[in-house]
Amino acid sequence: MSTLMKGNFTPAHNVEDAPQQADTLEQRFEKEALKKLGGSIAFVSKKKVLWGDEADNKDEPE
Amino acid sequence: MAKILFVNPVVREEDDPRHVPYGIALLAAIAIRDGHLVQVYDENAWRKGAQVLHSVFNADRWDVIAIGGITTAYASIKAIVQQARQECPNATIVLGGGVLTSLPREMMGFLPEVDVGVIGEGFITFPEILSMIDADARDWASIDGTISRTADGGLFISGQRALLQDLDSLPYPAWDLFPLEEVYFPNSQVLFSEEGMLARRRLDINMSYGCSLVCKYCYHLGIAGDMRYETDENQETQVAFDQPKNYTRSIRYHSPEYVVGLVKYAREKYNIDFVVFLDENLMTMDQYSKRTWMSEICRLWVAAGLQPTCIRDGVEHDEHCTGVHWSGTSHATLCNPEILKIMRNAGCSHLVYGYESFARHVMKTIGKGATPQTNMRSFFWTLEAGIRPIPNQIIGFPNEDFAAIYDNMEAWKKLGIVVKPFFATPYPGSEWFTVYRNRILEQYDGDLESYLLDLGDATRITAVISHNFNAVELLGLRELMLNFDYKRIRAYEQYWRKNHGIQPGEPSTLYRDPVQEVAVTRITQQKLATG
Ligand code: B12
Ligand code: SF4
Repeated sequence: MSTLMKGNFTPAHNVEDAPQQADTLEQRFEKEALKKLGGSIAFVSKKKVLWGDEADNKDEPE
Repeated sequence: MAKILFVNPVVREEDDPRHVPYGIALLAAIAIRDGHLVQVYDENAWRKGAQVLHSVFNADRWDVIAIGGITTAYASIKAIVQQARQECPNATIVLGGGVLTSLPREMMGFLPEVDVGVIGEGFITFPEILSMIDADARDWASIDGTISRTADGGLFISGQRALLQDLDSLPYPAWDLFPLEEVYFPNSQVLFSEEGMLARRRLDINMSYGCSLVCKYCYHLGIAGDMRYETDENQETQVAFDQPKNYTRSIRYHSPEYVVGLVKYAREKYNIDFVVFLDENLMTMDQYSKRTWMSEICRLWVAAGLQPTCIRDGVEHDEHCTGVHWSGTSHATLCNPEILKIMRNAGCSHLVYGYESFARHVMKTIGKGATPQTNMRSFFWTLEAGIRPIPNQIIGFPNEDFAAIYDNMEAWKKLGIVVKPFFATPYPGSEWFTVYRNRILEQYDGDLESYLLDLGDATRITAVISHNFNAVELLGLRELMLNFDYKRIRAYEQYWRKNHGIQPGEPSTLYRDPVQEVAVTRITQQKLATG
């Protein structure tokens, strides 16, 4: 029984998985490479932080 | 009892599927609670395409095919509803979620296969639709919160659906109906903190609805009190969201007991080690509850034995740590050092801050209620509490100029921020979509659907709303900013000033208050709706 579909009853027919053509090495490479290219990056490089110099600034928003 | 097939459309195709769709998981749980027969096919998780969808649509005789998602799932939704209509001509196709809510009339036009749309919150509207199907009736117009088709081929928006106030009456999400072991747990990692990186069994939870801020690029899905129904001059109902000087909000949150009860349940049932809180802004809730909500959640978290052992024992986190780490969203002005420390003690590993910009004149125009100073202050408070701040940045705001670019680069350098900013993107439902609608459509030859199809991550450029820079300039400037290439940016600034006739020393901007443009946009919208 395929588990592609999940629910609280047994449907009349099983869901057939599609015979997936295994990705060629080229396709695999391109998919992985694309993932690395996209998306946002945001993090703090802890080593670079200048600690505390603005921390006491109590300026309120406007 | 109705036989319902939920289909989760593909979103963010370029990445692995990482998030169980929380709204659909709740609606599936509600349908099961009410005694219906429910199946979920998660195409976003499986990504098997039309052949498997064919098998899914023919697996039973479906009374309802329910689909929904955020705006960027539009392309997938379109393909799925077309196939659904062909293969299941008698099923009622129901569409909901942010994609429909922001543009209900347009969406029903683009997707003639859809029978009924659920505008905004689905918690009450969707079960009422199911009851009507059980009663073998199709009088959608009598159900609040719907958009449906009239006999003469028009569209009818029924009364506005009131938001559910007793959120704790909701059942727990039907996580079992999604491929957790097969797809979602293997993709648990969240690369925003060490603890997130080591997460192996993560689930997401939404504990609140709403945000007290009015960021002009933000959309709240019509489930945050952000949506108003207005009657236009043809006496037709139109759905409106944030507009200049016209904002509404409703702040709602689950009780700390519900939240911790749900996490405990997820821990016991699925052995989770990480929770991402999906809430738009945890700090709104904390402030609204007079600083009781978050700290009570944290207290109960520790009392329930969910505190990670690395924190309890004061040792570095590693694979042997037990307990549940978590992350969420914060806000520069609304957080304070005390709550951040309490959150850390309960296992908070990172907090996403939409700092957006470190340029004072830009921040004044975006509705965030923050300044460069509050950004920096919260940044240090968060680090001092032992939590990683995730400092999101955006470029391409309407009044973004060279001064803003330099301010941002200075701040990144000073704070050790490594960031590839998003582009300011006017997603439908946001104030800037309403304000700049004409300008956006001009960039897509007047074709709204092609804009929707172009939308994806805001790391890609789509419609530009900057008054100063075009798409090519924004892309180039972002690249140079990432490399701290002051020299080339300065050189380009000279060229840009010459092009626009702006003297050295004058502000590098062509910006004018866009509110003038709203009047024009409103007229166009009315034409669209009636035409
Ligand atoms: C999880 C999440 C995602 C997930 C996917 C979500 C999914 N599969 O649904 C991921 C990580 C992929 C994602 C990506 C993005 N997201 Co996002 N995301 C969220 C988040 C944090 C939680 C969504 C959620 O579960 N909400 C709670 C549930 C209960 O609400 P819901 O799903 O909308 O469901 C309710 C109703 O909408 C309706 N409903 C929903 N589905 C259906 C289906 C049917 C049949 C019915 C009847 C009703 C119905 O009923 C539900 C109950 O009331 C929200 C913020 C938030 N807290 O809501 C932002 C949010 C939805 N995202 C947003 C944005 C802007 C983005 C990005 C564009 C961000 C970016 N800068 O790149 C990207 C798009 C990426 C891409 N390439 O497509 C915006 C709005 C997007 C929009 N215009 O639709 C939000 C609101 C954040 C914000 N305030 O700005 N996101
Ligand atoms: S603070 Fe965040 S959730 Fe709130 S309006 Fe601004 S961007 Fe949206």
